Amino acid sequence: MNMGVCFKVVLVCLVSSIALTGCKRPKKGGPSGPGPDGRVTAVNPIGFDEYRNDTGPGGMGVRSDDGELLNTDLEVIYFAYDSSQVTEGERYKADSVAGILQNSPGARLEIEGHCDEQGSREYNLTLGESRALAVREYLIDSGIAGDRIQTKSYGEENPAVFGHDDESHRLNRRAGFLVFN
Amino acid sequence: MTIRDVGAGKTGLDFSRFKTDSSKTSSEFLHVLKTDLTRSGWFALTSGGGAVALKGACRNSSNQITVDCAVQQEGMGTVLNRSYNSGAKDVRRLAHQVADSIVKAVTGNRGMASAKLVMVGTQSGKKELYVADSDGQGLIQLTQDKSVSVAPKWGPANQIVYTSYLKGYPDVYLVDVSSGGRDRISSYAGLNTGADISPDGRDVVLILSKDGNPELYVKNLRTGKLVRVTNTPGAAEASPSWGPDGNQIVYVSDSSGRPNLYITSRQGARGKRITISGTESVSPDWGPDNRIVYSSRVEGRYQIYLIDPAGDRKRPVLISPGDGADYEDPSWAPDGRHVACTRTVNHKAQVYILDTGGDEPIALTNYRGDWYSPSWSP
Repeated sequence: MNMGVCFKVVLVCLVSSIALTGCKRPKKGGPSGPGPDGRVTAVNPIGFDEYRNDTGPGGMGVRSDDGELLNTDLEVIYFAYDSSQVTEGERYKADSVAGILQNSPGARLEIEGHCDEQGSREYNLTLGESRALAVREYLIDSGIAGDRIQTKSYGEENPAVFGHDDESHRLNRRAGFLVFN
Repeated sequence: MTIRDVGAGKTGLDFSRFKTDSSKTSSEFLHVLKTDLTRSGWFALTSGGGAVALKGACRNSSNQITVDCAVQQEGMGTVLNRSYNSGAKDVRRLAHQVADSIVKAVTGNRGMASAKLVMVGTQSGKKELYVADSDGQGLIQLTQDKSVSVAPKWGPANQIVYTSYLKGYPDVYLVDVSSGGRDRISSYAGLNTGADISPDGRDVVLILSKDGNPELYVKNLRTGKLVRVTNTPGAAEASPSWGPDGNQIVYVSDSSGRPNLYITSRQGARGKRITISGTESVSPDWGPDNRIVYSSRVEGRYQIYLIDPAGDRKRPVLISPGDGADYEDPSWAPDGRHVACTRTVNHKAQVYILDTGGDEPIALTNYRGDWYSPSWSP
């Protein structure tokens, strides 16, 4: 499967999921499901107000999940095994993203970090996040404001390809980009 | 307890003087009881002879089960003499309870028969949480998120914490198993994961990246107060597990270049590495009698090891079989002897139970789909 098609499918799925969560303040009694005895239960999300002022150094500020997804075909950055380093050969892809953000001052970016299936799921959530953060660091060093860039790790939970060979693993060790208006 | 070689002696347990009436329910009771006692690892069941004898009966009268149970141990006399009751529909639960009573009375150790496990299953096509009994029966689907669930951990007060992408981001949720209610307890910018509830039920340890790097934090479940534990800009943390003292925490860090296990305290003492540098060691679980199990990649395969942080740290003990499968995500059973884990072979995952006492692994699940990331209840 070529990466372009795969990436577009991922974009479509993410657009739908973003449309469902929307930009409203989360209300009580949101998405629900049956409890262990079959009763439907409600999720009671903690309001975002609680986190509004909670940013540390290098912090990302409060999460934003609103905005329109821009239709940009951004190349995915690949990583070596157990590494979150953006290698020299991959940097042009990050430079391309920086350029788009520089040209659209109102746009914000979401970097999604992924891993191959090796290693524990918990460690891979962290590793995926480290990859997204490494790309974020690179973009901040290129002059993009940190509060325009959020990270989302999928660990090994959202592979691009489903094979188990080295090449499939390589294609899953990646960071992808979503740009919102 | 000490770890023994494979095939170490078991206590003979004579069932010949335990009677059942002709009801199907009584037969089921006896079957579950025998299975639990065999799985406990302590007993070899006999129908004549043995250091321990079980006397009594199980009767079903108008869908009420009555169990009279006397256990005699050579040289000790009667170590258990009790009656139990339940409705017929709860016969399996009753058998688990009796099995644990017998284990406790004879060996002094807790049993695991009455405990449950939460795990992730893909049977529905999505990654949802399920709960099963210790023998794999009574499977209940706990979530209907239709999303991705990761790393559930069962806390001390019938609560389960886990990471879910229900709202499109990795957030931590807490499920109250009794009421079925659920709260989102961590949804900062960036990553929210690694949830494990402290032994006293008051706090949850978390991995958060909101300050620019995945680090350890402790959050009070009642007040919401958040305390940062690690501060390692050059290294990322993952996979924390509380020690039974409610103060120390074992976790994974890549500060040495590869993921290794470290121990810190909730006040944020400098992390002390407990696994050998150069190996890949992940997913630790710190058990009730102070030993840690974890998964480590050796010669291309993941194996489960046991380490005693109070003992000789350079000698981890291998507890998974070298049968070519990958063994990951270990979780201590409340008996302090068995360890549930994910066993993957030909890229298919099922939950297995390992025995640190030397018995062969047993499959917990045999269901359609993949089953993994088990966590025992107390």
